[in-house]
Amino acid sequence: MRLLRNLGRRKARTTLTILGITIGIWALVVFGSMANKINALVAGGSEFYAGKVTATGKGGGMAFGSPLAISTADRIAGLASVDVVVPGVTMLMSDEISGVSMGMPQMIIGQVAGADRGRESFAFHYASGRALTQEDEGSDVVVLGSDIARQLDTQVGDSLTLRGERFLVVGILEPTLTAPDTTAIVPLAAGQRLYVRTLPSLVAAELDPATVVSGLTIYPRDGADPEAVAAAIRAADPDLETMTAADFDRQIGSATSILNSILVGIALISLAVGGLSVINTMAMSVAERTREIGIKRAIGGGRLRIVRELVTESALIGFLGGAVGLALGAALVVIANEAGRASGTVLFQLTPGTALTAVGFSTVLGALAGFVPALHAARLDPVAALRYE
Amino acid sequence: MTPMALLEGRNLRKTYRLGRHTTVEALRGVDFRIQQGEMVAIMGPSGSGKSTLMHILGLLHAPDLNHGPRPELFFDGRDMVALGEAERTRIRARQMGFVFQDFNLVPTLTALENVMLSREYAGIRGPAARDAAGEALDLVGLAGRGNHRPGELSGGEQQRAAIARALVNRPSLILADEPTGNLDSERSAEVLALLRLFNREHGQTFILVTHDPEVGGACDRVVRMRDGRVRDHALAALPGPADRAPRAAVAMA
Repeated sequence: MRLLRNLGRRKARTTLTILGITIGIWALVVFGSMANKINALVAGGSEFYAGKVTATGKGGGMAFGSPLAISTADRIAGLASVDVVVPGVTMLMSDEISGVSMGMPQMIIGQVAGADRGRESFAFHYASGRALTQEDEGSDVVVLGSDIARQLDTQVGDSLTLRGERFLVVGILEPTLTAPDTTAIVPLAAGQRLYVRTLPSLVAAELDPATVVSGLTIYPRDGADPEAVAAAIRAADPDLETMTAADFDRQIGSATSILNSILVGIALISLAVGGLSVINTMAMSVAERTREIGIKRAIGGGRLRIVRELVTESALIGFLGGAVGLALGAALVVIANEAGRASGTVLFQLTPGTALTAVGFSTVLGALAGFVPALHAARLDPVAALRYE
Repeated sequence: MTPMALLEGRNLRKTYRLGRHTTVEALRGVDFRIQQGEMVAIMGPSGSGKSTLMHILGLLHAPDLNHGPRPELFFDGRDMVALGEAERTRIRARQMGFVFQDFNLVPTLTALENVMLSREYAGIRGPAARDAAGEALDLVGLAGRGNHRPGELSGGEQQRAAIARALVNRPSLILADEPTGNLDSERSAEVLALLRLFNREHGQTFILVTHDPEVGGACDRVVRMRDGRVRDHALAALPGPADRAPRAAVAMA
């Protein structure tokens, strides 16, 4: 193919230029995959909070709020706009910070299965085993998120220790790419026992685990605005803090959009450098081929055709750089995710959209970078070009 | 009955600007007329304006319009002076052929592809272009050399490939700028004979810019230039008028 012969004229230079684009696209793929993953986590959270209000005890210096009396649930359930209240406990799986982790922390949650009376819309799918049922209350059984199961190399029927107590694994969830992957779900009674252990011992000594929860999940009646319900809950019990999907988006959405901009910005800077190197390469190519362009113009090659030839050539450089960058980026994403899974930190998510954007972008970038030198070439005076030394 | 003029120019002037205050008057008002089927040499010392005249006749440059009497340039009965670049490129592609002194061929393309390029510029692609290019190479004696790149061909072979490219569209006018300038006398004679052959057999019109008296001697007519003007339109000693008669008939057919 004629086009490839042109690229092959200066193999080292073409290779270096392609490498420049490769680095940019590699960065775009890797950082884009990271942004995808973060966005998926956020979207998952947003979906989780949709259509409900969660309430926790105010402050107290504890990550998941101060303990609430379980009777609070009954009081809130009495509000006119509230349909169902599910009391539950939420805690970290371990107090140790497990290295550098940008993923979701591993959590234990305890709820009475089915207490939501069918209101929960976030559907779990089971890779193996079964869901918890109301009959599990009183037994020490657990359903594990996919990342925890993989990290601990645990299967249904195995047992594991959660905060010092033995639990039997009865189910393992399918990956969701968001919070449930790093969550262990236990019956409420068992969860309450574990929860009380996380409290300062002076406080814990005073408490009967069966009367304490860490939070409430409140499902509004049909048609009730979650924001209004949240306000009603705060009015009914000033010690409660509420969280709705809108609150979640406000808190997390702005942080992630800044992070996204930084990641994409880094990738774009690398690509700008790559694009400049394509411009340089094409300008040098045009200079070297000045006489040849003169010949083509003289024997009737139109300006448009000259531009098209050169732009196609630089688009090909962009495409090749993009394809190699995508391949290397995808390789890194796969390797890093496999390595990360062992520690529960899956950082990247490479979507077909990101892959297509990366290669499409590099091809367009190559074409644009070739455009100025190509235009210069097409404007050459054929006679002067023929005499060029 | 006189054969119709294929190309006719009047008041052709060209001034090149070299620097802010330096200009070169390359052509100072030239009238030029060539009949269909003629083979004319333009000769003269360096700087006499012969190349400039060829570039204007070949539509590579336009004559100056901004001073002196209005120039005229008729090719095939059509006024060329006012044409835009795109249309002049189109006429170069379809109705003219060019042979230059050296560096005629695109180095990354084979001889065959170089000839096909001319065909493609004239709007013919694919197998038809390939066949015509192959035939043209056969005609210039390069059968079997079509798949070689210019770097693998001798100077004489390269020049013959360039002639094949200039001829492949059967243009009515072929312009050659020092076509034998870089060849030894034997290769030079071969190339010249080839041009003469096409002139005679196909009635194609040739304008050759040359320093070489041998080339001038092989043409029907020599236009001598000096200082941007035509000095005389002497008829060449050879070949005689008797040789030209049958060709004129071809041209009129």
